Amino acid sequence: MSKIAIRAENLSKEYTIPVEAVRYDTLSDQLAGSMKSLLRRNNRRERREKTFQALRDVSFEIREGEMVGIIGHNGAGKSTLLKLLSQITHPTHGRAEINGRVGSLLEVGTGFHPELTGRENIFLNGAIIGMSKMEIKRHFDAIVAFSEIEQFIDVPVKRYSSGMYVRLAFAVSAYLKPEILMIDEVLSVGDLQFQRKCMAYAEELRKSNATILFVSHNMFAVKAMCNRVIYLSEGSVHFDGSPAEAIECYEGPNRTSALPWAQNAIGADPSDWDVYIEKVETFDVTGAERNLFNYGERVRIRLDYSVRRTVSNPNFLVSFIRSDELACCNYNTAMDGFSVPSLEADGSIELLTPPLNLVSESYKICVLVRDAKFEHLYCAQIGKTFHIRHDLLNTHFGVFHEQGEWFLPNTVDNHISFNFTGGSLS
Amino acid sequence: MELTAEAALKKPFKVIQPRKGLFQLDLGSIWNSRELLYFLIWRDVLTRYKQTAIGAAWVVLQPLINMVLFTLIFSRLAKIPSDGIAYPVFAFTALLPWAYFAQALTKTSGSIVGSSNLVTKIYFPRLLIPLAACIAPVVDLVFSFLVLLVLMACYGIAPTWAILYLPVFLGLAIITALAVGLWSSALNVRYRDVGSIIPFVAQIWMYASPVAYPVSVVPEKWRLLYSLNPMVGVIEGFRWALLGKQSPDFSAMAVSAAVVTVLLAGGIVYFKKMEQSFADVI
Repeated sequence: MSKIAIRAENLSKEYTIPVEAVRYDTLSDQLAGSMKSLLRRNNRRERREKTFQALRDVSFEIREGEMVGIIGHNGAGKSTLLKLLSQITHPTHGRAEINGRVGSLLEVGTGFHPELTGRENIFLNGAIIGMSKMEIKRHFDAIVAFSEIEQFIDVPVKRYSSGMYVRLAFAVSAYLKPEILMIDEVLSVGDLQFQRKCMAYAEELRKSNATILFVSHNMFAVKAMCNRVIYLSEGSVHFDGSPAEAIECYEGPNRTSALPWAQNAIGADPSDWDVYIEKVETFDVTGAERNLFNYGERVRIRLDYSVRRTVSNPNFLVSFIRSDELACCNYNTAMDGFSVPSLEADGSIELLTPPLNLVSESYKICVLVRDAKFEHLYCAQIGKTFHIRHDLLNTHFGVFHEQGEWFLPNTVDNHISFNFTGGSLS
Repeated sequence: MELTAEAALKKPFKVIQPRKGLFQLDLGSIWNSRELLYFLIWRDVLTRYKQTAIGAAWVVLQPLINMVLFTLIFSRLAKIPSDGIAYPVFAFTALLPWAYFAQALTKTSGSIVGSSNLVTKIYFPRLLIPLAACIAPVVDLVFSFLVLLVLMACYGIAPTWAILYLPVFLGLAIITALAVGLWSSALNVRYRDVGSIIPFVAQIWMYASPVAYPVSVVPEKWRLLYSLNPMVGVIEGFRWALLGKQSPDFSAMAVSAAVVTVLLAGGIVYFKKMEQSFADVI
């Protein structure tokens, strides 16, 4: 049985958020306050601050060679967990044991100094991420070769293109040869090629029995790379086990939740809203329930709602929010020219989308109920994820892909015909 | 990407937990990361004069320009005495440790905030940051020291054997800068006010130190209080070691060294306490 690489026991992290109204007024007050809290450590700054629990009692054991995905909605504590495990910030309670050299791809290029040359930065960055001078010297040539920037090695990195910068930084990180690698996809930058390089590197490390922690919003990547997934929700481990089950759990069957900003606008208790979306379901054109669609397919979305108070002239809005929080498109009954009768009793409404040419990604369905003039808001919820699949098109191609018309202007035939047809089209 | 045998043998083992007690300082980690300390100092030195027209010449020019200004203002206009030593040499000898101290204090105070991209993204012993910031300006001091030797030769002043004591006085200057800098750099993370206060502190401190004037102009009854300022001992020490002036008051120096040591110890404890929240509040 392999050894344990990471053991977390009841890891918790609280952040204190100052309550604005009672902030210290002057520096001397602040100094006095901090002196006080320094001297009387148990008397934690008398309720002047709210606490926010980013992680609570997170426990798990990860064995050497495991490849573990960490998923969760925004604010679930994924990044906080990585920060704790990489010692950037300290836990409030609990402990963790780390057995092995830790590297991470969340700080690619950390400590690069723009004024220093590539050569100088290799040494500086190498030392910062934890390599000894000997190691850096030994791997220097390999790092330079791997980064493909030989001819610019003595140029200050501020003159580098962003691609060169990232390549060099990544090359240094790669030669740290960590036994535990942490990847935070949200923070990692770079183009498609670079991301592929990262993944190839992770794969190679895995073969050498390294342990990998992978934070991602991309369920395809998690499914493809990980053999175990920890699903964090509101700072706690909600599920820990097989990727398929964890993703199922993460996406929830037909779950929707109230949007926090709407709770401020309409009322904190969604069960008291005039309308509430009880269920969101997705079907394909044949009526079969599905949440995985091919690029270009039409999607039928059924919303089941409950009504507490009559809403006249309602306007249902459905938006697709990509996993990186980008709102991609919207359909609404008012603009689509469909008038909905006043909502008086529970019921349901269906939307059949045009062929969805969105790129291959996960999309959350966001539902709002407003009035036809967009003046009132009755309900705002988010939930139910569906996926669109395409072998090539991903977020690097933008939001959607539609077919364009192409011409060769230098070719006489095309050029002329274009001009002629152009005239007749208008 | 095979793991080397040495790496497999001594796998680092770390326990991450809330720090218990004020005095769990883990100073050994500073020693273990001495290579990183070296690289941080090296970075500071290397980048200080990059993309300047005359580069490292500034190291020499800055105290020289100050010396000329001091000579014009304090010696010619204000007629401040210099204990029988040519005023330019008198001033330059004091400017040597003072310029170091003022620079180290400023750099150290802003060091943590200035490294926020490191602090929020990767772990290494945070103490290295202020430590590197207060050691790096020593390089400048070494260069201007060479200028001083030239200047002394011009004025026909030969150094005495007391020059061997210079490292002691320099050490006291470094420790003073570090002691104050540890407090101010950690405070600066939470209260950026510190960044605005430090220039005034440095200015007031300069007038409270015998940079432009000799200690002999300080009234006798204030002398003891005055010499508690560690920079008084440092500057007097430099003048004694280089120009053969009367020796500084070593007993007062011992007292101020003790004060600095307490300040330093407190600074380390405070810094280590605040260190845990740097990434969260910076």
